[in-house]
Amino acid sequence: MKTELNLQDADSFYEQLLDAHQGLSREQSELLNARLILLLANQVGDAQVLKECIEAARQVPK
Amino acid sequence: MAAGFEQTAFTNSYEFTQGAGYALPEYPFVVPAELRSGEVSHHPIVIAGGGLAGLTLACSLARYGVAAVLLDEDNTVGVKGASSRGICYTQKSLEIFHRLGIYERIAAKGVQWSVGRTFAGADEVYSFDLRQQSAYNLSSQPPFINIQQFYVEAYLVQRIRELGHVDLRWCNRVSAFEQNDEGATLTVTTPAGEYRIRADYIIDATGSHSPFRAWTGASFTARKGDDRWCIADVRFRTQQPHATERHTWVQAPFNENRAVWQHPMGDQVWRIDYQMEPDADPQYVSREDVVRERLARHFGEGCEVEMVWIGPYAYRSECIDHMRHGRVFFMGDAAKVVSPFGARGGNTGIADADNLAWKLAAVLKGRAAAALLDTYHEERHEAACQNVLVTNRTTRFLRPAQGAETLFRQAALGLARQYVFARQLVNTGRMAIANPYTRSSACDGTGGLPVQNVSFEWPDGSAGCVNELLQWADGRLLLLRFGALGRGALERLRALVQAAPVRCVQVVGVGDTVAAVEHVRDVDGHLKGACHVFGHSWALVRPDSYVAACGDDIDAALVRAIAQSMGAAELDRDCA
Repeated sequence: MKTELNLQDADSFYEQLLDAHQGLSREQSELLNARLILLLANQVGDAQVLKECIEAARQVPK
Repeated sequence: MAAGFEQTAFTNSYEFTQGAGYALPEYPFVVPAELRSGEVSHHPIVIAGGGLAGLTLACSLARYGVAAVLLDEDNTVGVKGASSRGICYTQKSLEIFHRLGIYERIAAKGVQWSVGRTFAGADEVYSFDLRQQSAYNLSSQPPFINIQQFYVEAYLVQRIRELGHVDLRWCNRVSAFEQNDEGATLTVTTPAGEYRIRADYIIDATGSHSPFRAWTGASFTARKGDDRWCIADVRFRTQQPHATERHTWVQAPFNENRAVWQHPMGDQVWRIDYQMEPDADPQYVSREDVVRERLARHFGEGCEVEMVWIGPYAYRSECIDHMRHGRVFFMGDAAKVVSPFGARGGNTGIADADNLAWKLAAVLKGRAAAALLDTYHEERHEAACQNVLVTNRTTRFLRPAQGAETLFRQAALGLARQYVFARQLVNTGRMAIANPYTRSSACDGTGGLPVQNVSFEWPDGSAGCVNELLQWADGRLLLLRFGALGRGALERLRALVQAAPVRCVQVVGVGDTVAAVEHVRDVDGHLKGACHVFGHSWALVRPDSYVAACGDDIDAALVRAIAQSMGAAELDRDCA
């Protein structure tokens, strides 16, 4: 799993993500996120990287 | 709401409630010799349970010429009430049945299929054609045959009677058990009274209600769900569905957006399996008029069907922690219970039986060390755990928990309509395979993989298949030597087959010189490919058509591999 910056344009990605959720109900937002996760997971492909990403996402800092 | 499902939730049974049923063969009860003599007889092997696993084991032992007694609690095959239970038999099972001599009967009665289609609403979201997959297309047997389970069981009974060696005892129910250093003793209840029988080895093939679990104190890892289904086995009087495809719906509009299965079987009977609400009343959902209404929603008002069998069911998932307890070996549903998705129940039971049969035969004939029997647990428990894992994943897709699981299923189904990659996330059951063995002390790192029943040429140019070679080896190991064979190696092989339970064949490819009288031609390289040799020059194939090991020279490593696959080697999991 990469922990160094890999995004070509972090700010614009973040903005696109927020824009995509704008005007959506909570349910619609959740579905969009779920679809996005599956789409992105297929871009990553690597099973070990995906596993580490899931683990990392679970570790919410206190 | 009736409390009935609380019971079915734990039975894993396919309860017969309605329908004309099937006419099943009946076998006569014969008063056992023990009841006449009053003595306790002693047998090397007693099998409890005459279902798929028990009968496959009995038939396999009979083929090796090993005597056994099989005790079955009723006087017929199938389940009381004439249910059909398992319907889908995998290539590996069909290859085993080919070896046992009942494949032709199954092929004549059953329906071959290789195409599966999955729908969500009106859209097809996933499909496969197993014949197009290299994993299936070289065997002499097709990817799958659908046939009612009791037909397979009846053919096994027929075959056992042809072969002899096994004493089939109908209406003999095991009612008590004990074991010690001398043997295991069973108390058997029959219509003519009770008797006792002793054995060196007991095989528990009594299914998911096994009394041996409590008798041996076997521990289980279990998981209970609330998924409910109702089967309608029907015969269409009007139009037939597509005859050679399996159709599944994750969300069927005609079943309130719940799942539906549609499978062809023998006798032009169709299994239509409807997912129900978790709190549905089993009596109500399986009432004939309710089922007919459901079928009309599915196939149209004009469809006329004959009800063959109707039954609601629930399933659970559980796996025994040790498949051997002293003298008792657990197999089939007695060892592990899974949901029906992917046909991993009956087919695994058949594979359990095939795995244990040759080992018992080899030990009883003095060809193998008794330690070989412990590898049954190592190999089949790995397979059982894998099958539990895979079927639980399907269960989670078909009956997702509320919240995130339902959300992700919705996301996956939506994406599957749009993009090819997401079709792989749609899980209506991953079809059973011949499980690899990665932790067996009887296989080394180059082995543990199944060998398909591929074809080759005999020296006279006629077609042969792997099963014929295994039949010729008759319970011994089969050493396949690929390519050229020098004089020194040939001499060492001659000495080896004299000293060890091995039969050896030279497999001659294009451009190789024939050196051994016993050789076959593998012009297309299918045999070599099937043995997973990966550049090695010999493969040691077991009677259950699994590779035990591969290697290069005819040397001490081969001798060690033979000893290891016959249970003589030290257990060394770290190296395996």
